[in-house]
Amino acid sequence: MKQTLNVLAMTLFTALPAFAGETTGLTDDTIKIGVMAPFSGNAASYSKAEVGMMAYYDKINEEGGVHGRKLVAIQEDTACDPAKGLAGVKKLIFQDEVFMLHGNSCSGVALAIRPVVEEAGLPWMIAHAASDSISNPRAPNIFHGLPTGSANGRAMAQFVLSRPDTKRVAIIEHSNDWAHSYSDPARAYLKENGVDPVADLVMERGQTDATAQILKIREAKPDFIIASLYEAETAIFLRDLKKYGMSDIPVMGTAGTDLENTLKRVGDLDTVKNYFVIHSYIDSLGGDKLKPWGDMIKKYNPDEELSTFSFASIGSAIAVVNALEAAGPDLTRSNFIAELEKINNLDTGILSDPITFTHDDHQGVKGSAVAGFVDGQPTVLRSWGERY
Amino acid sequence: MMPTSAQLRFRTILFWLVPALMLAVPMVVNPYVLFIINGILIFVLITLGFNFVIGNLGQLAFANTAFFGIGAYSSAIATTSLGLPWIATIPLAGLAGALGGFLASAAALRGIRLYYLAIITLAFGELMRWIYVHAKSITGGTDGLSMPRETLLGFSLTDDRVKFYIFLVLTVVLVKATLNLLRSHIGRSIMAVRENEVATASLGIPTSRIIVIAFMWSGFVVGCAGSLFALHTAYVFPESFGMLQLIVSFAMVIVGGLGSVLGSILGAVVLTALPEYLRSFPGMEELFFGLIVIAVLLLLPQGLASLLRRLSPIFIERYYRE
Repeated sequence: MKQTLNVLAMTLFTALPAFAGETTGLTDDTIKIGVMAPFSGNAASYSKAEVGMMAYYDKINEEGGVHGRKLVAIQEDTACDPAKGLAGVKKLIFQDEVFMLHGNSCSGVALAIRPVVEEAGLPWMIAHAASDSISNPRAPNIFHGLPTGSANGRAMAQFVLSRPDTKRVAIIEHSNDWAHSYSDPARAYLKENGVDPVADLVMERGQTDATAQILKIREAKPDFIIASLYEAETAIFLRDLKKYGMSDIPVMGTAGTDLENTLKRVGDLDTVKNYFVIHSYIDSLGGDKLKPWGDMIKKYNPDEELSTFSFASIGSAIAVVNALEAAGPDLTRSNFIAELEKINNLDTGILSDPITFTHDDHQGVKGSAVAGFVDGQPTVLRSWGERY
Repeated sequence: MMPTSAQLRFRTILFWLVPALMLAVPMVVNPYVLFIINGILIFVLITLGFNFVIGNLGQLAFANTAFFGIGAYSSAIATTSLGLPWIATIPLAGLAGALGGFLASAAALRGIRLYYLAIITLAFGELMRWIYVHAKSITGGTDGLSMPRETLLGFSLTDDRVKFYIFLVLTVVLVKATLNLLRSHIGRSIMAVRENEVATASLGIPTSRIIVIAFMWSGFVVGCAGSLFALHTAYVFPESFGMLQLIVSFAMVIVGGLGSVLGSILGAVVLTALPEYLRSFPGMEELFFGLIVIAVLLLLPQGLASLLRRLSPIFIERYYRE
């Protein structure tokens, strides 16, 4: 009986074909790429982060593709929900049989799908989700093509301490993993430099008033405030900071907020004049160096209203295309991964910091610039007072 | 028209035949489709448990998302912190869900009914979510908990085929147990409470105890579903147990048929499978979801199960509220 059951079980469990082929998703003239993003749900606005990558692929296709192969993007909605993201990634891997994955905006979803992608073995270039845990510990096939939370968090703290005589730093954050992914490394960098936060405060998502937090900050008398808050809450915080006459204290925000959008939300330059955000690009939104990229996005998506999110995935798309080209016409998943690991100091012409992957380190972007208003104009900065 | 004894026998055969045929499913579908089917089995249990309280007991209680989260976190904590094998955490998750049901029933026992009960049980769900977020040392906070990779009798529990067989067996067992419970004197008392609590009490039936039992059974079934969900997604985090989850499962109950076990199954199947089928058409999922709820409420106010009952008497459930 036991033997019969064993035979039956083995038959059932070997009936399915294996999916992880070296050339799955490739034809003579196409490379299928699975693109995941929250196209629906509360976080649908983050799907803008995939627009740049799609436009870049359109541009490459218009120029003839990579070794004669067109890049065919298949989009799947994650709705920023792990269960839905898992269904989406399984569809891309097992039903659409894509060659590789590119994208994903929500760290929670990315963490949930990581075991599936790791086991399936297909290459995955993360384009927007910033949590370090997605690519660390290293998985052979998972690459981070943008600054991770720790890189951004450290960049935030570096910028804060680059302001002369900054000794007292307050931190205000949401109580979620996204906020912690910025504030924890920032806190660690401050500690390395002998600075303990003078106030550690929480502002929950959806809060419409920050008076309680502002009053505590006033007591703490900080020289600088680090705010790991979403854009809506950032606008409320800055508004209330001004209401209490504290808008001269500089505030350092995350890459989850956009400088120009924040200005639009508060509607008054005076409120955001001392607000700085992590900005991973070489220029500000309306700047000359970003203009060609903006034009490219507009060419393929005429209705796209450009924000910094629209450019988020272009750098990683450039790295993908570079590796595909280097892998040659006899493309396989293994030689593509090997070529990604050879990318060294790649100047993408859009990211503020170069991309470098090695066999042991798949977190490719180690730093980030900062954007703020200088003389009323959005300006990209390397450090306090130093333009990019 | 009630089913004849021959039709009842056919119904019994059908009950066992469908899962028996389903045993072959992993051989003919890819892992993606199997993942969706596994999700449907979980939602069958969630809807079944939810329907038990609002449909069969007739209490407007919305604590099922809390039971679901309690079950999922119980399994995740027991495997990650206590090192128990996942399979051993299923009854633990069920019991934790039942304990949640006991706590939720306290409001009903205090004579709180209708909208007041709805608000209190909603608050219970939100309170649990607050605990998941803030009890970081136990629950992982907003980062959640990742389930360890395990094997069972040599088979990997990350394999959707292995999960399918476990989920199927548990779903069949719990559906059958719920049917048996509903047919027992406890089940009849539960439905008597739904029809008229005062009259039921006047017959000497301990209505308080009946209400507690119903809530605890609901919590047990949904808690078990939570345990399956923890394995299904291999990742448990607070956002999975919010209002959206509640709305979806409530819609499944309404679309399937209030107070109907068959309706619970149909509602879960339809509202899981069809939106997934439409995932390639952005925006259509939400549109479809809204349209089907409106269409069922207008055209089939007793849910999809009533459609089957019209087609054949074998689908008539004696405990269904006509």
